[in-house]
Amino acid sequence: MTAPHSTGLTIMTRVERPPAHAGQGLLSSVGASWMRAPYPALVVDAHGGVVEVNARAAGLFPRAAAGVPLADVAPDWLVQAHGRASEGAGEPAAGPGGSARGRHAQWSLEAHPTRGVDGQIVWWLVDDTDRALAEAALKSEQERTAFLADASSRLLASLNSQRCMEVAVELAAEFLADAAVLVAPASGRRHPLATCVDGEVEHLLARIDPSAVPGLAEALQGFPPVPSRWIDPASLPDWAVPGGFGGPVGSVVVTPLPGHGVPAGALILLRRSDHAAFDTSEEVFARVFAARAGAALSAARLYMEQSGITATLMAELLPPMLQRVHGVEFAGAYRASQDSERVGGDFYDVHPGTGPGEKTLAVLGDVCGKGLEAAVLTGKIRSTLQALLPLAGDHLQLLRMLNGALLNSRHTRFATLVLASVLRREGTTRLSLTSAGHPLPLIVRHDGTVEEAATSGTLIGALPDVRATSAEVDLRPGESCLLFTDGVTEARGGPLGDVMFGDRRLRAALAECAGMPAEAVVERVHMLVAEWIGDNRHDDIAVMAITAPRTTHLTAVDGHTPGRYTT
Amino acid sequence: MTEALTAAEGDTLARARRELWQAVCARDEYAAARAVFGALDSGAGTEDVLLDVIAAVQREVGRAWAENRFSVAQEHSATAIHDRIIAAMAHRIPEPSPTGAAGTVTVACVDGEWHALPARLLAEVLRGRGYRVDFLGAQVPTPHLIAHLHSTSPTAVALSSSIPLRLPAAHTAITAVQALAIPVVAGGSAFGFDGRYARLLGADAWAPDARAAAELLGRGLRRPARGAVRQSIEDLPHLADQEYTLVLRSRRQLVKNALAGLLERVPAMRAYTDAQHERTAEDVAHVVEFLGCALYTDDGDLFTGFLDWTGDILEARRVPSRVLDPCLVLLEEELKDFPRALGFLARGRETLRRRDARPPVPGPDSSA
Amino acid sequence: MNTSPDHIFDLATSLDAEGGARISITGDLDWDTAEELTAAARLCLGAEPPPRRLHLDCARMTLCDSLGLASLLMIHRAASGSATRLHLENRPTALQRLLEMTGTADLFTDRADESGQGGATRPPLPPRQP
Repeated sequence: MTAPHSTGLTIMTRVERPPAHAGQGLLSSVGASWMRAPYPALVVDAHGGVVEVNARAAGLFPRAAAGVPLADVAPDWLVQAHGRASEGAGEPAAGPGGSARGRHAQWSLEAHPTRGVDGQIVWWLVDDTDRALAEAALKSEQERTAFLADASSRLLASLNSQRCMEVAVELAAEFLADAAVLVAPASGRRHPLATCVDGEVEHLLARIDPSAVPGLAEALQGFPPVPSRWIDPASLPDWAVPGGFGGPVGSVVVTPLPGHGVPAGALILLRRSDHAAFDTSEEVFARVFAARAGAALSAARLYMEQSGITATLMAELLPPMLQRVHGVEFAGAYRASQDSERVGGDFYDVHPGTGPGEKTLAVLGDVCGKGLEAAVLTGKIRSTLQALLPLAGDHLQLLRMLNGALLNSRHTRFATLVLASVLRREGTTRLSLTSAGHPLPLIVRHDGTVEEAATSGTLIGALPDVRATSAEVDLRPGESCLLFTDGVTEARGGPLGDVMFGDRRLRAALAECAGMPAEAVVERVHMLVAEWIGDNRHDDIAVMAITAPRTTHLTAVDGHTPGRYTT
Repeated sequence: MTEALTAAEGDTLARARRELWQAVCARDEYAAARAVFGALDSGAGTEDVLLDVIAAVQREVGRAWAENRFSVAQEHSATAIHDRIIAAMAHRIPEPSPTGAAGTVTVACVDGEWHALPARLLAEVLRGRGYRVDFLGAQVPTPHLIAHLHSTSPTAVALSSSIPLRLPAAHTAITAVQALAIPVVAGGSAFGFDGRYARLLGADAWAPDARAAAELLGRGLRRPARGAVRQSIEDLPHLADQEYTLVLRSRRQLVKNALAGLLERVPAMRAYTDAQHERTAEDVAHVVEFLGCALYTDDGDLFTGFLDWTGDILEARRVPSRVLDPCLVLLEEELKDFPRALGFLARGRETLRRRDARPPVPGPDSSA
Repeated sequence: MNTSPDHIFDLATSLDAEGGARISITGDLDWDTAEELTAAARLCLGAEPPPRRLHLDCARMTLCDSLGLASLLMIHRAASGSATRLHLENRPTALQRLLEMTGTADLFTDRADESGQGGATRPPLPPRQP
């Protein structure tokens, strides 16, 4: 894609200087007017000898003069065209077939023959260097446009900043240079670097001095690039030349990667010394490419930052993985209302007792609303409960304190929840269950009977006072207690599409869960509800199973290889 | 199969399989763990135990459920026991170096896919072979998968699905992942015994089992060409006839109409309990869903395969499979203007007729 | 069962001769609409002088979710502040159940109303199918 170094303009200025021997009033069979013709022209006889040369042609063929063989001064293609034209001398005036085209020095010429007398031929030369250049430029413009379109889609395909850097250097090393080095803004004291040579990409995190590369420190601050010719390739530090580059660096371009508001880094392009140096148009093009790479990189970085923040938040807000605590199984599952909005209003937690003789507190609840607002309230409830754990033995007192912490004069957003204090003693697992305005826990007995826990109470966070009564429930091995949010019973769907899952189906599903481990109970209920919903919209759904294990658990008995079995 | 399995190793695995099967039948988690860890302690390889013991027994559990030898509770309990054992085994596999010598792979189940165990086994096999693995679990909504990929940029995604009904969802996931220039290897029975649906949906590779998937990933997959998200119609030009779209959009009405028709034509239904009505409605909805799936892939085998499978399930529960025929007849009447759907329904009825003509098979099929 | 595709939400406010205000609620009281009800009720309660009674007529309410309940609680709080008696009338079964489950049914049960659940103005509708 390297452009020829001359332009149509040069040929004209050169031709303006008439050669000394031109314009001497030589007579010719074709008349004298041609001497002033705006095109270069030469008269050649049937034997290939130059007869006359006009001023412009003399500019093209400085050694051409009367009597000099055409073959000595003109390129082969013209000599051959003259040979062909002379052979066909007896035929009528040559048509377009007699024309020829080719390069001469830096020019691209078309030659059109006109027959004169005595087999002489006047060759009219048309300089089509401009047109050829324009065509070449057009082709490269199309290539560049195609490259940019491709580059954009490849750059934007990933919102991972490391991957995005990788794509940028790959593209640059493939289309713009022999090697590319992308320098990202420093994270701490080190700069992430991505290099590519011969399709091999490498990532580094290096302490570098950007000022060692002319223009790099400026580019990293978003200042305009310095012209390539100002950069001495020999002065590059080692890190700026990828390992596999091989051979001396011939030319260098350093261009900023403009981000959204802040610089996204800088791109160093390297060419080997046996490769043409970067010309101005290539530098400009590199800048256009860098703008796209910078935008993509900046978007990726922004996305990574935000998803990092979200992930941190979610780690706080999403329900924990549950497991076995002091001989009782806990399992939970959560499905957020909209797939793109992962944190919502349902939550659960298990706070293990400090020892096997201490009660474990499980909580499952639902805060009013959805999205971030609900998530903030959820976070507040979870952290307040954590702080109130010393009161866990007295559910009513705990709920009063929680209610006080949540009351707000500006709104009546509330939460409903179930508290379960769990203690296993010998074969029996005892639960104290308290509903604060929440759907009642269901208990599945080993024979498949399903019961409702007899507890009731007011919701939390909207009323000045709370009331609640607790229920005591004993679980024998293989029996489970299911806590759930109304997203389960109010899920709409089913084969007809618009029916509520409801209490009856939940109880029927649970009846089949007698004797199952907690994870299986949760998975079963969760799966049936999700299948019921199909692709309907739904609210948050949370379920938690508290199960008295059916058989002695591994951790309790697997003594023969200590420490191995640590689920 | 692993090469050069010695006779002794084979015996160890066979014994472990037997013991594990007995343990899950008894829902005895302790005995199950003893079977598995016993095999490991006698020198069996982790990967062999995962695939030739646990996966093999899990397949048997699935068969036992299909043949009505296992209750729902037994099936779920067995799966839960397997899950726990795999989690405990994970402690035996050394953590890969943080740079992930072999690469990073994300393993996920298609949205709506609940059978996580095959994917989990693959995750453990890959971990054992030195990959960094992100296992996202059952039914991963595609937006979650994509968000995860943006932040982790793995070398490949392994996508698991066992139910052909999830093929449209799998297609969405495959094209979305590929648009990030990340190759997808598809696995699980949903993609066909020979991977035909993986190819149809444009997955970069298909693997019949976990070992094959690990081999494929070991050889490395080409990054797919980056660019715009491929639309479903580019892979499946037959979708232009809109039959899939229209059947999917009107599926609830189709189910309602078919149920009303059944009530009219099958007098026995009038005596059904509410629960029986609901089961029937679920069956009809299933037929319509599989018909939709066949329309999506333009593959009638999916529909007849479903009817055969349902026929087996019904017959194992002493219900003749011909009870499905009136439903197909009603759908034929509803879908008069849908030539592709009519073709599939006709083939479906033929399948049921063939089943009916064949002599009853005594006992469950015990071949592997 | 409300299967109509277009759940139109509407609030109609009217004043009666005895200085009472009435808001008739039509449609789903939920995430999208709860604020609207709170605002309409505040407008009534903010009148000079405030109405002696505020009737919320739920006969045509098709659904009340947790934000709907939050709105009712907010109106209850505001009504207590302005000494207006709040009447929640013609409660659909599902709403009544929600109030009972959350322990808030008492708040909206006016002692004077107990003889006739829907108040004096209209007979109670038959219970809705859940």
